[in-house]
Amino acid sequence: MILNPEVLAIFILNTIFIFFTIIASFLSIKIALKWDSDATTKLQYKLEKQSFLTATIIKYIFIIKIPLFLFFIFTLDKISNILPGAMCGAGVVDATQYGNYLFVLKIINLYIFAYWLFLHNEDIKDENQPYTKRKFALFGTISTLFIGELILEMIMFSAINPTSVVDCCGTIYSSTASSYISYIFQLNNSTLLTFFYFNYILMIIFYKTKKKYLFAFSNIFFLLLSIITLILFFGTYIYQQPSHHCPFCYLQSDYYYVGYLIYTLLFTGTVYGIASGFVPTNKEKEKKNLKISLIFNSLFIILVSLYPTIFYIRNGVWL
Amino acid sequence: MIQLKNITKIYEINSREKVTALLDINLSFKEGELIVLKGVSGSGKSSILSLVAGLSKPTTGEVIVDRKKISKLPDNFASIYRRDNIGFIFQKYNLLPSLTVTDNILLPLVPLNLDTNIAQQKLERVMKMFHIEHKKDTIVKNLSGGEQQRVAIARANVNEPKIIIADEPTANLDKKLSLSFIDILKELKGKNKTIIIATHDPLFFNLNIVDREIEVSNGEIIL
Repeated sequence: MILNPEVLAIFILNTIFIFFTIIASFLSIKIALKWDSDATTKLQYKLEKQSFLTATIIKYIFIIKIPLFLFFIFTLDKISNILPGAMCGAGVVDATQYGNYLFVLKIINLYIFAYWLFLHNEDIKDENQPYTKRKFALFGTISTLFIGELILEMIMFSAINPTSVVDCCGTIYSSTASSYISYIFQLNNSTLLTFFYFNYILMIIFYKTKKKYLFAFSNIFFLLLSIITLILFFGTYIYQQPSHHCPFCYLQSDYYYVGYLIYTLLFTGTVYGIASGFVPTNKEKEKKNLKISLIFNSLFIILVSLYPTIFYIRNGVWL
Repeated sequence: MIQLKNITKIYEINSREKVTALLDINLSFKEGELIVLKGVSGSGKSSILSLVAGLSKPTTGEVIVDRKKISKLPDNFASIYRRDNIGFIFQKYNLLPSLTVTDNILLPLVPLNLDTNIAQQKLERVMKMFHIEHKKDTIVKNLSGGEQQRVAIARANVNEPKIIIADEPTANLDKKLSLSFIDILKELKGKNKTIIIATHDPLFFNLNIVDREIEVSNGEIIL
């Protein structure tokens, strides 16, 4: 078990989150089941008061969870300094059997929470609160995922043995890796990049033609393609090493923490993009969401494309 | 215009102690009416005012103003409703004592982000209407009780609300100033404002400008 100040902070915060999530979850289920917006009964007025309290709890949990995701990555990176064999956060994630599941769950939850926040914002903008039932039913359901994430996170940190040697990212992110990650190395770079840029062009077309559902789906593909291309192609240009594919190392100071910028752009762009398709809103807001998504996704594309371009201009060859 | 349907209001002091302020009351007020709610302290008058103003929600029942269910509004929309429709006159005026008369009257206009010229026009109009323009730069705490009340009335009217709510407006005034307040009410009634006054001041009883007197006792309307 590793118990440095960062892990301790995560443990304390997770305990607080679990406590508030259980309260919010209990109230959410009650509201989702008994809410009747037309009723003028004692129960309904009580639920209206409780819905404000519950929504406030959930909102602040989610708002804190977003920067805490970056703090989690920072912690992984910091632990890698004391874990034998680990060169970055990747080694820490791979150090236990829970790490990869936790990471995937964290990303899924991040998108679900963002969706909840969008839905909540739309709900409180209308005096009839049309999405109250839906948003609390959603939280009632996803709170299990959230509590699962918090518990898994604590189990993962508890299961890390600081004396045993772990794999470094060079081993984990390679074609010889023993995990499912090795499968992505069977993909052809040129084909992958064609799909990546073609998907971006489609996104622009869907933006111009205002096809919000297609735009949202193209964002889901964009997220997956971006993560894979970052590992397979763009990462190697950030490191300027053809065999270094780690998606964690560029979060370190050696690479000016550019990873935080890359992931923030990708996360913000795709969250707004996916929300534009799945969150019911007015035309004006929809247009704004589409625009924000396209701006952030474009900035992401420009940033990651700059690395191979500059490398080629300087060296006259590709890696 | 204003309807209170099957309203019950219970204040929960703690899990065991509850106070029933209003018990299944039904009331309606027409536009332009001047209503006096009379009754002893604790009878439920102020609870009615607070429900009409959207300051609190009933335990059961509903409050409808201009076909809008005020009691069902979320807090942020209730604030907008109050800002746009209600003018308050409080027993203790609730002015900001260290600010000038002008600043106090302008306060309700701050959230509206009005153009300075429009705000100035509104300010001058109410200061003239309630005869307080000569004191516009005076700090409120240096004013007499009657002057402070005129400032409070001016502030309540600066946003031209449709409904004026006054809770014991003459409780701190002598008879002369109370009569002068009644003159102001005449003026407001002339402008077709709906005015609801909660009071136990006998000066308001049997006044010719009052359309209806409603007696509230132990949370119920006495017919």
